[in-house]
This record gives sequence, structure tokens and C-alpha cells, in this order.
Amino acid sequence: MRSQFTGLYLREILRTFRNPFVLLITIVQPFMWLAFFGSSFANAPASVVSSIAEGHNYLAFLLPGTLSTSMLSVGMFGSMSTIQDKRFGFMKRILITPTSKGVIFLAKALGSATRGLIQFPIMIVAASLFGVHFGLSPVEWLAWVGGLFCLAIGFSSLFLAVTASSTDWQTPGVVSNFITMPLMFASTALFGGQYFPSWMQAISAVNPISFSALLGRSFVLGTAVPWIYLGYLAAFAVGLLVIGWQVSARWLKVD
Amino acid sequence: MNATSAIEVRNVSKRYGSNAHSVLALDRVNLSIPSGTVFGLLGPNGAGKTTLIKVLTGISDLTSGDATVAGFDVRTQSLKVRARIGWVAAEVILDDDFSARENLWLQAKLQDLKDWEPRADLLLRYFSLADRADDKVSKFSTGMRKKLEIALALLHQPSVIFMDEPTIGLDVSTRRMLWDIVAGVHQEFGVTVLLTTHYIEEADALCDRIAIIDQGRVIAEGTPSELKGRVKGDVIELVSAVPLDAARLRALPGVQEATSRGDEWTLRVTSAEATLPSLLAAVGQDSVKHISVEKPSLETVFLDLTGRRIADEEPMRDIRKFYAQMRQVRR
Repeated sequence: MRSQFTGLYLREILRTFRNPFVLLITIVQPFMWLAFFGSSFANAPASVVSSIAEGHNYLAFLLPGTLSTSMLSVGMFGSMSTIQDKRFGFMKRILITPTSKGVIFLAKALGSATRGLIQFPIMIVAASLFGVHFGLSPVEWLAWVGGLFCLAIGFSSLFLAVTASSTDWQTPGVVSNFITMPLMFASTALFGGQYFPSWMQAISAVNPISFSALLGRSFVLGTAVPWIYLGYLAAFAVGLLVIGWQVSARWLKVD
Repeated sequence: MNATSAIEVRNVSKRYGSNAHSVLALDRVNLSIPSGTVFGLLGPNGAGKTTLIKVLTGISDLTSGDATVAGFDVRTQSLKVRARIGWVAAEVILDDDFSARENLWLQAKLQDLKDWEPRADLLLRYFSLADRADDKVSKFSTGMRKKLEIALALLHQPSVIFMDEPTIGLDVSTRRMLWDIVAGVHQEFGVTVLLTTHYIEEADALCDRIAIIDQGRVIAEGTPSELKGRVKGDVIELVSAVPLDAARLRALPGVQEATSRGDEWTLRVTSAEATLPSLLAAVGQDSVKHISVEKPSLETVFLDLTGRRIADEEPMRDIRKFYAQMRQVRR
């Protein structure tokens, strides 16, 4: 099982680095996010920006939320890679070896989560270039990355579970469109939740993107760290891993 | 299970779907494939050949019946079966982002092989791929890709290799090369090969034994010469410019049977040489638009058994070939 997992996991990672276009987009996308979204408030009155960013530098405020929401697309790409393997027959090649469906799921979920984290150092460098100062301790860096990794695993697992029996290219995109906007805007990733209506605040209060954004934001802005959120994110990852494993073992099909 | 059988199939049925529109892809199939043989499943598209391979390799669940491969039950010991089989697909399936050696590495990982590299080197040399081992397989020719796919199937020293229409969509020279490879692999590595095909000449050239499959059922089984021996006499096909009378044709000397589809007539005769003169006299030479004679072959066996030719499925074959090529292009 370890051998099969290692092979499939490394395949996911190696394929990312062998596709120049994917690498280019991975590097450029964070810069574009910060440049375009961050600059959209450039001419806004300082009081407005300060109000949204709760009195902090808006880019520093935005960065952890941006990283958190980008983990949603990680899940979509993970399930697209699985569907590509099904359509081009590679999934059959894998399944006609002593590799269990659960291991295939695990390698895909962890592979896409790892791929998603490639953006992290790039984003940090980009934010530094835009003037954000980072004064985190090694433990805080680890906790921040760990939280994002948990979030990515959770979303990867969710997408893989939802698309386990699908061979349709469109399914991951449709699922992504369906869940991305509610999860992104009903979270504190981009704005503080103080102006949300009560029903959105209720969603935000249980939204893992909010946990990840608030955890990262506390590290970057140097405010009180809600360590419990790391536990919530770990539970989110483990819970969806277990569900995804079970669903894949039952429903991952090429026939 | 027979002690010398590589594959045993007992009353295996496979149904897709469960409602009124369900399809019975395999209908109580029975097969016993001896170890060390090249066994062919011959039949038109949609006959159930690929479905049987899917069932035996664990890709599809069987609906009823029992099957063992390499001594293990395909339902309850699927992982053990999959550790002992190799697979060569109709379309070449490789990871195009990887080199030949990396594809072998991944296969070794999936088969949980520890000391795989000497075996991989041997296979790369055997298939004349050693010089290109570190090149991306996307740059390989179709023949090289097929060779690598067979090398992947052999890496873990399987006891059975499944080859699902291995030469579909290939040009004639590459197909001939593949035949030599399949025959060589069988002799060199002593592996049992289960091969599906709808190419009559391929089954005839490669297989020790053949099962003819049609509409999900095995309708005949034996060595190529045994199967051809079932057909008594020759087949004359005739296209006439004028309407012909079946009773009159059947009354000609040596004619066993006369059937028609429009103006196309198929006559089963004891000896074509003996019947042709009287046939041409009866029809009138000027009325014959086309006439051909066929000696006993696997094609005439299929015709004899089903009333159809395997080649009647030709348009569908072209569609499959088209889709196989489209997949290649999309990569």
C-alpha cells in the first residue's frame, strides 16, 4: 500500500512540475490576485479600507484569506486530474494492479493538496514585494501551512468524493461553481464578518475557510491566535478524508 | 479449477443496468484457458470480449457465475489476481509526461516491486527501447509506445497477460510487428496470453485456441484447425444483376444452402470448383456482377454459426478507430 501511494503521490507532484503552463499560472496567479484585488481599494477613502481590514494593512489582512480561498481550486484540479485519468484510460492501468481505490483517492487528495501549497511561498514573496512584513515564529509558520494543508485536503477529498463516479469533464467545474462562491463570500477570507447578515454570519461561523483565514490572519497581523481553529481544520480534513476514502472505495469506477 | 488452467470461467453473466433498458453483455460464458497458451476471443464489436476482460481483471463486477485467474477468485481475491496479471489496452495508455523508464518505475511502484530495475533494463533491451529509455514517451512512435506498454505488462512477471484488441487502429506493418512481439513474448517469458480481436487473420496467426463470441455468448471453441474443420465445404458469394430463384440455386449440384440479402447471395457448397460451372450457367455469366469463393476459414466459421460476417461490423470498427485516434490527438 505504501509503495502504490508513493508512486501515485509522486506522479501527481512530478506532473505539475513538468507542465510549464501550469507552473507559470501557479506563479503568476498570486501576484495577479494581490495586484488586482489588492489595488481595487487603492483610491478608496482610508477610513473605508481601515474599516474593512479592521484597522490593519489591507494586503496583510487579505493574504491569509486569499490563500485559503485558493485551496478551493486545489480540490477542483484534483478531481479534474482524476477524471482525466479515467477518460484516457490511465485509471484502468492503475486499477489493473494491486492498488486499492482508497489508496488512489489518498494519493490524489494529498497530491493535489501538496500542489496547492506550492502557491504559499510564492504568495509570501509576492506580498513581501507589495510591502507586507512577516514576523512569524517557526511554529506559527508551520501552523499556518498546516491549517492550509488541512483545508486543501478537506476540499480535495470533498471534490473527489463528489466526482468519484463521474467521467464528465464538466462535473468538477459545476461543483466548484456551486460551492466556491457561497463558501468564499460567506467567510471572513476577504472581509471581516461584522457587516454580514445574521444568516451569513451563521455560515461563516462554521465555514472552514473562515477558520483558516482567521488563523493565518492572526499570525500575519500579530493578534491573538485562535489555536482551536487549527483543531477544527484538522477535524475537517480527517472527516472528509474518511468520507472520501469510503465513497471512493465504493464508487470510484471506470466502467 | 483445473490444475493446469490459467483462467476458469463458469457460467459468467454480466448485465449493465438494472432497468428495462439493461444490457446483457455476457450470457453464461464458460471457458477454460490452459496455462502457457495464447488464447483468442474472436468476435465482432459489441460481442462481449472487452467486457469479459473487464470482469476477469476486476475492473467490472460480474453479475453471476464464477471466475478464477491464476488460481484466485476474481470477486473475492481481486488484489491477488491483479498482482499476477498484465494488461495491454486497445489504445496505448501511458503517462505521456513521463519517460519510458519513469513509466516502468510507476508500474513497479503500483505492483509493489522492490528490485525492479534489472528486469526493466532487460525488457527495455528486449523491446529495443534502451536507447530511448529516458525520453518522454510522448515523443515515441505508436509502435514504440505499444512495445513499452507490453514491457509494463511484463515487468512484474505475471502469469497471465490480457491483450484487449492490441492491434486496433495500427497500420499493417506495425500490426505485423506486434504479432511477432506477442509470439516472441509468449515463447520467451512463458506467459499465458488472453487476446481479444476481431481480426480473423490475427486470431489465426497467433492463437493456440480460440473462442468465438457473439452477443455475449461463446458459440464455438477450439484450435483454429478444429474450428475450420467444423465448416464442411466452401462459400460462394454472388451479386446478380437479375433476380434469382433460391429453389433453383439449391437444386444445383453440390449446393447445400442458398441465402440472400437483396441481390447478394451466399451459397454453401461441397466444392466450389465443382459447383461454379453449373452456377454460372444457371445465372448467366452476363448477369454476374460479382462472384467470390472462400475456402474454410475462421470467417466462414463465424458466418456458419451466426449467418453474419465479423466484417459486417466494419463501420463500427472505424468509429472505434476514430475515437482511439482522437484520444491520441487530445494528449
